[in-house]
Amino acid sequence: MSRRLIRLACLLLALAPTLARADVTVFAAASLKTALDRIAADFTAAEGIDTTISFAGSSTLARQIEQGAPADVFLSANTAWMDELEEKGLIVAGTRTDLLGNSIVLAGHDPAPATPLSLPRDWATLDFGSDGRLAMAMVDSVPAGIYGKQALTSLGLWEQVQDRVAQADNVRAALALVSLGEAPFGIVYATDAKADPNVHLWATFPTDSHDPIVYPAAATRDTAEARAFLAFLNGPAARAVFEAAGFTLLAPPE
Amino acid sequence: MSLSVALAHRLPGLDLDIAFEAPPGVTTLFGRSGAGKTTVVNAVAGLLRPDRGRIVAEGEVLCDTESGIWLPPHRRRLGYVFQEGRLFPHLSVRQNLTYGRWFAPGRRDGDDFARILDLLGIEPLLTRRPAALSGGEKQRVAIGRALLSRPRLLLMDEPLAALDEARKAEILPYLERLRDEARVPILHVSHALAEVARLATTVVAIQDGRVIRTGPAAEVLADPEAVPALGVREAGAVLTGRLAAHHDDGLSEIALTAAPLFLPRIAASVGAQVRVRIAAQDVMLALEAPRSISALNILPATVIAVRQGQGPGVVVQLRSGEDVFLARVTRRSADAMNLGPGTPCFGIVKSVAVAQSDVGRGRQP
Amino acid sequence: MTPLTPQELDAIALSLKVAFWATLFSLPPGILAAHALARWQFPGRQLLNGLVHLPLILPPVVTGYLLLLTFGTRGPVGAFLQETFGLVFAFRWTGAALAAAIMAFPLMVRAIRLSIEAIDPKLEEAAGTLGASRPWVFATITLPMMLPGVIAGAILAFAKAMGEFGATITFVSNIPGQTQTLPSAIYALLQVPGGEAAALRLVLVSVVIAMAALLLSEWLSVRAARRVAGR
Repeated sequence: MSRRLIRLACLLLALAPTLARADVTVFAAASLKTALDRIAADFTAAEGIDTTISFAGSSTLARQIEQGAPADVFLSANTAWMDELEEKGLIVAGTRTDLLGNSIVLAGHDPAPATPLSLPRDWATLDFGSDGRLAMAMVDSVPAGIYGKQALTSLGLWEQVQDRVAQADNVRAALALVSLGEAPFGIVYATDAKADPNVHLWATFPTDSHDPIVYPAAATRDTAEARAFLAFLNGPAARAVFEAAGFTLLAPPE
Repeated sequence: MSLSVALAHRLPGLDLDIAFEAPPGVTTLFGRSGAGKTTVVNAVAGLLRPDRGRIVAEGEVLCDTESGIWLPPHRRRLGYVFQEGRLFPHLSVRQNLTYGRWFAPGRRDGDDFARILDLLGIEPLLTRRPAALSGGEKQRVAIGRALLSRPRLLLMDEPLAALDEARKAEILPYLERLRDEARVPILHVSHALAEVARLATTVVAIQDGRVIRTGPAAEVLADPEAVPALGVREAGAVLTGRLAAHHDDGLSEIALTAAPLFLPRIAASVGAQVRVRIAAQDVMLALEAPRSISALNILPATVIAVRQGQGPGVVVQLRSGEDVFLARVTRRSADAMNLGPGTPCFGIVKSVAVAQSDVGRGRQP
Repeated sequence: MTPLTPQELDAIALSLKVAFWATLFSLPPGILAAHALARWQFPGRQLLNGLVHLPLILPPVVTGYLLLLTFGTRGPVGAFLQETFGLVFAFRWTGAALAAAIMAFPLMVRAIRLSIEAIDPKLEEAAGTLGASRPWVFATITLPMMLPGVIAGAILAFAKAMGEFGATITFVSNIPGQTQTLPSAIYALLQVPGGEAAALRLVLVSVVIAMAALLLSEWLSVRAARRVAGR
């Protein structure tokens, strides 16, 4: 028993330095994972500041921050949760920026026709089969689903499609349904569609058919490292990575 | 009916190689614990598959390893009364009793049921649950359950071993009635000689996985050569006689072939056949008829054989009229009396030396 | 507290339906698997044991994904069942029931297995000598005696099925009235700022149902145990 305790203590001691050396802790929306992992590596290499990133749904992260989680920087996939934190005084004044933009697209399992579809005009030509589903993230709660519902509503399509919609708990799960062919079509972020080779881009929803898709960033603790990380996100190296992943850049370059 | 058993089976610490024939009546496998008795019964029941062997009951081959015949237990039509009863706790006594009848060929009418309830005295227990029964009651129900499955052979593995003396005394009369009335042959396992003496018609004595002596019970029990196997302290012959009278002073008189035997009051009616086990060590011998002695039973006898053992004692086999019994005396006494085959003498038995549990009812074996 | 909305009532009703059928259909295979694990000796016994416990070990999302791969309309089993029996799981409540059944299966098997292991095999032997063949022994002795465990396992499975979320949403997603179960509804509410109050109401409903199921199971188990023990 005591031997176990000693082992446990050794393990904790071994872990402690890595925790202590992580000078900036970032809470980021899951859809940023691929791009942000590379940017963080670049940041550490360039600035000599270690980063620890926790990826999860924006809502989960925001709630954790409300409960006092030790985040230095928060990158949200929508403005609502950032607004919530701001109202509660949990972000550092003056550090919030609208960092990235994204668009939502109609993704299909089968290859798309040569000429991209125009929505809403070409919606009727989509072949859902007898009871094929339109995969989306949860339309009342998950950002990608909320944007998708807005777009379909403003294009006058929601009424006719709402019974077809299969709501996944996150946008990646919706993407998986299309990728596996369980649902012939789905509404996902442009960045997601780009990341999955089994999914084809059929149409992009007009940007004015839904609220702007904005990824705000802010410091949640006022440290030099947090500010340095935010600045790096807007630097040329980070911008190149974001762009390659399919994001649009909203903030002007430094 | 007859049961014919021949089997060889190797168990940790026991190399079993046994063959015997069981004629009608109660055949008792007798031996110390660990001798292999239960293994034999389990093989007959089909709960154990012997390495080699052939078991035939009433002409039907239950098991023959040579020709690969193996009847599963449920198709053997044997009733098995286990040491611990093994009543089904979730069923009432009635449901336990009728359990086997579900599967018995040609369901019987209520006659049989009533007869067996009566035989075992379990009618009042029908609505109870096994958990609410005493040990003796449980065993009676277990016997009834086995009988009501209409077996062609009843197996009883130490049916009394788990019971205290009082419960044993309660059940033994039922087993005697079973032997005499139920018409089902019984293969019975026991390590208690008193039980064997009361129940067995045939004895198969087993030691270390081998049959060492087999034959009619009265013969085996009265055989001085079998004494070492049966246990010196336990050895004793079984005498059968008619209950002649109940006397006012509390004694019952049993008519043997050469002399009467007086014993404390026996619970049987005048005219009934009784079996009495007389332990060899409770018998004294005298060359002349003693007088002015408290012992009431003085049996004129002739020595048949004297068997010398390892210790200071000898076992003397005697004949009194048609009855054969044993006496255990010291070698010194035997020498002083110059006992040998043909020596006339008297066997002396104290009435109170014969325990109630050693007296049972019984037909001539 | 405001009354529940029709959509919330739908979710509650659907959850009860899903949990009920999930429990009912997993009982026969659950009893079979428990019996096999408790009593049979066969090669691959440990493999079966591992397989049964897999949903307990895997993240629910992975289980859901594997179900999607296997029982989806394009999955090998799913396609076969659809063509042969017209049975569709994908995006149907039947799929939610399948996911719930798979997730609850290990709990059910464990409870039943324990109750089988508590039965003295000598009683089954005794039934055999009375003329009962193996299936009869099982039906008349083993099954009634393991009843307390079966009840406990079934209720445990029911409660687990009521609360299953991860595998369900991954496999059949969240379609109001079709596959939106209570946990899905709670999850959806928790994703929007200010949804906590509404979520809490549904959580209360869940807790009440789970507690009722638990109490029912205790009561039934005690009764059955008493019956089996013959008191």
